[in-house]
Amino acid sequence: MDATLSGHLQELRRGTVVVASLITLRTPGYGYSLLETLSQAGFEVEANTLYPLLRRLEAQGLLTSEWNTDEARPRKFYRTTEQGDALAGTLRDEWSRIDTAIGDLSVKSGSEE
Amino acid sequence: MTSLIDRYVYTALRHIPEQQRGDIDRELRASIEDAVDARVEAGEERETAVEGTLTELGDPERLADQYSGRTNVLIGPEFYPAWRRLLTLMLAAVLPIVVIIGVVVQLIEDPDIGKVIGGAVTAILNVGIQMAFWTTAVFVVLERTGAGPGRTGLKLNWTLKDLPRYEPSSVPKTEVAAGVVWPILLTAALIWQHFGLNEVPVLNPANWSFWWPYMIVALVIGAGYQIWLFRRRSYDRTVTVVNAVQQLLFAVPLIWLLATDRFFNPEFHNFADLGGGDVKHWFTVSVIVVVALGTIYDMIKVAVRGEQSRRSLPSKVPGTGNYNFGS
Repeated sequence: MDATLSGHLQELRRGTVVVASLITLRTPGYGYSLLETLSQAGFEVEANTLYPLLRRLEAQGLLTSEWNTDEARPRKFYRTTEQGDALAGTLRDEWSRIDTAIGDLSVKSGSEE
Repeated sequence: MTSLIDRYVYTALRHIPEQQRGDIDRELRASIEDAVDARVEAGEERETAVEGTLTELGDPERLADQYSGRTNVLIGPEFYPAWRRLLTLMLAAVLPIVVIIGVVVQLIEDPDIGKVIGGAVTAILNVGIQMAFWTTAVFVVLERTGAGPGRTGLKLNWTLKDLPRYEPSSVPKTEVAAGVVWPILLTAALIWQHFGLNEVPVLNPANWSFWWPYMIVALVIGAGYQIWLFRRRSYDRTVTVVNAVQQLLFAVPLIWLLATDRFFNPEFHNFADLGGGDVKHWFTVSVIVVVALGTIYDMIKVAVRGEQSRRSLPSKVPGTGNYNFGS
């Protein structure tokens, strides 16, 4: 049963990391800092998924990056582009639409019981 | 001595395209160091912190696959159904044809039963493995190059036309194909055993005055019947009658020739070599029985199909446990 549950949860959560990253990176951040922020916010994301994901989003033009060498450890900072921000907005609208739709469904089926 | 982190990063980078390596190298190291520092701050030893971080990052080759956007499957779900359909077609339809051609060629060159069987088995294995390999290789290349169905001319999208026909009335294509190929092979064998061999012909040369040409005509009629049936597309009483006539045209004279000992060449004595005894007699009886039973079976099969089709009776659909109730 646990395997079934975790499988379905994974299906449901797929894609949410993209939205969360695009929203978080409106303030520039680097790989590990984003990982920390997301896990504190309750997103279960693995480092080996997140780091390649950031590069993919950058290749799609949703993020830009810049090396910061001011500190002892050079870090690659990512920032959400305008395009990325617009996409995040669309995804959020879709998310709330689905949430409303599911809410409507459960209200309907609840009243029939 | 290379550190654990170096070994990890090198392993990952080996599987990443060269132009991306420098950037990923720096970024990955920074991320690992950040994670290690966080663990050390939380009270871990540096060594255990490194081990924990790298273990969490997991298989470096997998990570490299993710970085370079490679799929870590040989043939993905997009191509798998098309791959399976093509492979099934190759192994179920093309392979038998290739093997039959090989057997015929072997028979013409050297009709030694051992060589014929050996050749057939070798052909099944060799050609089958080649077919499976090349079919798979083509799809792996398609998968790797990311050539989607839209960009290639390949027909990968399933359409309703790909559904097999299960109606009892529809004529099985494989039976038709076999029904055309078989008379051609028999005719070739008949001509070849007389003119192609430098030895004594197996079959009675006296029959060339009438019966062998007649048999060839009957076989051609049989092939023509199969094509006629295929174009007619369904079984009915006419088919039952025509089939019975063309079957009997061939079988009755054949059995008569066998029974009256006019079939085999009296000059052909190799039967005696096969172990003495009355081999020729038993062989004749066996051929008569096989021909008679085969003819009766075929006539009944076609008649049953005709009746099922005419009355729209349900027929069993092979391999599904279902019955087809026609239309």
